Amino acid sequence: MSEIVLTARDLTRHYDVSRGLFKPHATVRALNGVSFELEAGKTLAVVGESGCGKSTLARALTLIEEPSSGSLKIAGQEVTGATKAQRKQLRKDVQMVFQSPYASLNPRQKVGDQLGEPLLINTSLSSAERREKVQAMMAQVGLRPEHYQRYPHMFSGGQRQRIALARAMMLQPKVLVADEPTSALDVSIQAQVLNLFMDLQQEFNTGYVFISHNLAVVRHVADTVLVMYLGRPAEMGPKEEIYNRPLHPYTQALLSATPTIHPDPSKPKIKIVGELPNPLNPPSGCAFHKRCPYATERCAAEVPELRLVDNRQVACHYAEQFVA
Amino acid sequence: MSLLNIKNLNVRFGDATATPVVDGLDLAVDKGEVLAIVGESGSGKSVTMMALMGLIEHPGIVTADALVFDGKDMLTLNARQRRKIVGKDMSMVFQDPMTALNPSYTVGFQIKEVLKQHLGLSGRAAHQRALELLQKVEIPGAAQRLDAYPHQLSGGMSQRVAIAMAIAGEPKLLIADEPTTALDVTIQAQIMDLLLALQKEQDMALVLITHDLAVVAETAQRVCVMYAGQAVEVGQVPGLFNVPAHPYSEALLAAIPEHSMGAARLSTLPGIVPGRYDRPSGCLLSPRCPYVQDKCRQQRPGLDPKAHSLARCFFPLNQEVA
Repeated sequence: MSEIVLTARDLTRHYDVSRGLFKPHATVRALNGVSFELEAGKTLAVVGESGCGKSTLARALTLIEEPSSGSLKIAGQEVTGATKAQRKQLRKDVQMVFQSPYASLNPRQKVGDQLGEPLLINTSLSSAERREKVQAMMAQVGLRPEHYQRYPHMFSGGQRQRIALARAMMLQPKVLVADEPTSALDVSIQAQVLNLFMDLQQEFNTGYVFISHNLAVVRHVADTVLVMYLGRPAEMGPKEEIYNRPLHPYTQALLSATPTIHPDPSKPKIKIVGELPNPLNPPSGCAFHKRCPYATERCAAEVPELRLVDNRQVACHYAEQFVA
Repeated sequence: MSLLNIKNLNVRFGDATATPVVDGLDLAVDKGEVLAIVGESGSGKSVTMMALMGLIEHPGIVTADALVFDGKDMLTLNARQRRKIVGKDMSMVFQDPMTALNPSYTVGFQIKEVLKQHLGLSGRAAHQRALELLQKVEIPGAAQRLDAYPHQLSGGMSQRVAIAMAIAGEPKLLIADEPTTALDVTIQAQIMDLLLALQKEQDMALVLITHDLAVVAETAQRVCVMYAGQAVEVGQVPGLFNVPAHPYSEALLAAIPEHSMGAARLSTLPGIVPGRYDRPSGCLLSPRCPYVQDKCRQQRPGLDPKAHSLARCFFPLNQEVA
């Protein structure tokens, strides 16, 4: 077993929301009890619909936001309660690639300077050494040397995402958090960028947290899959287990709703009705019970705990019944 | 006689010498048919439909040998005549439901506006019809939703309202431009089901513009693949998915992660779509095509019948007839 680079235990993040002058504040439980371990060189994929807490998780993992409770260890070092200096050190080990390559690059800075900035801040390399490292990284992500002097607007979406990825990899982080990195790209460009992600992971043995709503992409990149619903983990386990035999009704519905290029008319689609509930006012019991085709009274009353069933963790009262 | 007949459509921006954004497109849509147009950004899929609806403004130039919808030549209509057709017999659902609706008016007002303009309904009759439309697009609590403003609705609900407005005039042709791209996958499934149910029920033709091949495979009867402004292959679903004739169709299909399941790398087409100033003189795909030959670099192929589909290629793939 290789080194564990990221450990989360019961990670939660709650937001206080004002509802007006005379009303009490409400709490949005954007992230609720998420636990996982990530090994070096492996990929954890987080899937779920908008509002399920994927991006909040990304912000907590990259130290942009402090978790409300729970523990987070990066490369064995506890993050909660770390001093400012320690946090600065830790930030070198987690880097992030954002969804929109149009918004995540500084339009007024040359590409070479943007790539060199992580080195300027975190290392004591001379400017010639920095330049050399930047050129090497640019070659690695498929950018030409003359691109060093160009500005982001001169690049296409796919090339910009390469630049964003190169910038994240400059310090050779232990963990890379990628929040929907290909959802703004066309299919053929998406394939090129995904290949690059996989190549760099092999090269640097980085642990990836790959956030996506596209289950086909996740199936390609992931080792472990975490399915989230309304801030809580619904199901987490090895990719093959989850895709071949999803046990949580929400995972089943997600997989069934994903269109495929070779549809099988004999397999009826699972229809789920309604939309994601309001996170300010989540349903009682299991958060999914209002949309779940198998819901019973117990689901409305009791919050299902995450437990081990058939080689994966699942939060459903009736998970055993789906094993057969 | 098909419902919509497009012959040699060209759209340019700038002067007559500018590189066409849509380049000699031929397309026919039959009554009650579901046709999908797929392609990457900039391939001209949306511009084609905007040209049809008369939404291309200066400096855009639209020329065509024929642009006939339901027996009427859309090119010669004046603005007043076109307004009678667009939004009634031919209507459109846009990609982003949040910006397609006017934020300053209630949903009910916006639907009734369509009913008043195109059907001459007003007062109670318009209210009743608007309510029916909201129920038809399966909005829960439709009566209360009539008074809601767009910001009070989720993305899926807004898209349902946009669909209700589009079908208000019982169109013969509904154009849906990436109707589910902004939505989550479970909501996407609901909206596609709704569009198909309405299409069947009202026997309208549906043109689905999308970049998602999986959505095409599940919904369309026929598909047109576009590349750099040209239709490169037109064929039946699922035929085109099983035996693509054009190398670009093949490459698009191969780039989908679903296709290379278990493989470490996805198959890709090198390079990017040619831009305005670097169009190759021969086949537009020739700089990127893995099967390229000398003839491809010198001459431009036409869209010709092949074994299973129409394809714009000198050396089509999968030509064995089973």
